[in-house]
Amino acid sequence: MCLLCLFLAGFISCRNQSPSGFTVTAEITPQPARVGQATIALRVTGASGKPVTGARVALEGNMSHAGMAPVFADAAEFEPGRYRANMELSMAGDWIILVHVTLPGGEKVERQFEVKGVAPA
Amino acid sequence: MRVPLIGSLLKQRHARTLFQIPIFIISVAMIVHGLFGPQLAPKNLATTFTWVHFRGALVLVLLFAGNFFCFACPFMLVRNFARKFVRPVRNWPRRLRNKWLSIALFVAMLFVYEWLDLWASPWWTAWLIITYFAGALVIDSIFKHATFCKFVCPIGQFNFVASTASPLEVAVRDHDVCNQCVTKDCIRGVREPAAPLVVIQRGCELALYQPRKTGNLDCNFCLDCVQACPYDNVGIMSRVPAAELTTDPMRSGIGFLSKRKDLAALVIVFTFGALLNAFGMVSPVYALEQWIANALGISYELPVLAFVFALFLVVEPVLLIGVAAWLTRVWGGSRKPLLSIAVRYSYSLAPLGFGIWLAHFGFHFLTGLYTIIPVTQSAFGLGEARWGMPGLAPNVVQLFEFGFIGLGLLGSVLVSYAIAAVEEVRPVRVFIVWAALSLIIAAGAFWLMSQPMEMRAVAFASG
Repeated sequence: MCLLCLFLAGFISCRNQSPSGFTVTAEITPQPARVGQATIALRVTGASGKPVTGARVALEGNMSHAGMAPVFADAAEFEPGRYRANMELSMAGDWIILVHVTLPGGEKVERQFEVKGVAPA
Repeated sequence: MRVPLIGSLLKQRHARTLFQIPIFIISVAMIVHGLFGPQLAPKNLATTFTWVHFRGALVLVLLFAGNFFCFACPFMLVRNFARKFVRPVRNWPRRLRNKWLSIALFVAMLFVYEWLDLWASPWWTAWLIITYFAGALVIDSIFKHATFCKFVCPIGQFNFVASTASPLEVAVRDHDVCNQCVTKDCIRGVREPAAPLVVIQRGCELALYQPRKTGNLDCNFCLDCVQACPYDNVGIMSRVPAAELTTDPMRSGIGFLSKRKDLAALVIVFTFGALLNAFGMVSPVYALEQWIANALGISYELPVLAFVFALFLVVEPVLLIGVAAWLTRVWGGSRKPLLSIAVRYSYSLAPLGFGIWLAHFGFHFLTGLYTIIPVTQSAFGLGEARWGMPGLAPNVVQLFEFGFIGLGLLGSVLVSYAIAAVEEVRPVRVFIVWAALSLIIAAGAFWLMSQPMEMRAVAFASG
């Protein structure tokens, strides 16, 4: 019972991390995506639609199946509110990319998008 | 049972409950996290534990020990608790006392896994676990004995077939002791001396009478017989894996293997289902599904998937086993009917089928071994989860995969030889036929395991 309470507490604390109003839109090249290196360009905007500058943006790519090796990449800002990263898509199939954004004030936002049907190399 | 510590632990009356409780707690955590946690499979307890760790640990324990997962089954914990309040009074219908229903459920389970992409869905995985609990509870609240285990549970049937290749079995130590026994507690249970209708220790609920029990089929390692035997004459014994498939004595609770078409069908579905389940995870499956969809003018996944299942689980086995049985008659000189030949030799495929399951589940388990740590950390809020260390490198694990399939192939070839040596007038010819069949299936498995993995939720663009 104690374990379950700990579990629920941990679960609730995890779900309350992310503030709303932020939008992350992503473009991936090449299209269609293939196994190998992909470039991911992100546009991060705040609640008012204004570009979010000076943020730290880290990407985490996961396969749709549990137990597969995730891939990581840091994105660099190349225009105000626009970030770009190179990511090695190591396996064919459906990917879910988590975008971890740390705002200049230290606040953290997490968004995700899917890259479906990454083709074999 | 005579191993220090482990043996004395397993002999305790509540040993099974002791193992079931932690598995039950983990199951509840998986259900809660699956329903309410992050719906990203690699970050969820339900999907990670079920599709990576449970399946992998299950087959490895079956390979190195025996059916200890049925022993620690959490569904039976809930069912035993419920039986304190609800006494079932009905017997399972006679026409269902076979494996056909559980084969249908096993196939349905494989189908739903592909159709709903269970590996990618924490929510559906949680509901699958709930369904198992509910199924065990409802069935065994209505029907007496271990009806759910023996006639319904798809995981149980998987374990029964796989455990024919296990090195341990629950067996009698000394048959002379059983010959002297008049109470037959191992099957009848231990009764209250003053009230013979009151059972104080259950006997075997799966109708396996120890002195006439052969092998692991239908044995869920509950150890009720071990607890019930007043002479400490039943234990967990070592044995030659798969040897039980080479002989065909009258088995308690089962009968003759050669007369059990349903059990042979279960072994066939187990073996070809292993190929099918692995095929669903590699790139060529999508090309095949797209080709079928184009050829039939279908744009929905369900009928295409049904077609693939029919191809793998009906057409392929009927063709391959049918040809092998026919060759056994015309070239091997057997005078038995084709169906009898097919039934008898189908059992020889069990080790190979188990080898293919081992290769598949072992791959996910070993390559995703350490993911149990960050997923648990994340679910319970235990510090910063480190997601970067999944497990062993896939190219290393591939060697294990090939080893498992090779081991299974060896087992199947040896079993087919042993059957042919006893039952045929031209055993070498018959052996060549059935060894060739195992080789063809193994070649298919080797090819599958060499393909690049590709896990997609949608096979093709739907209309």
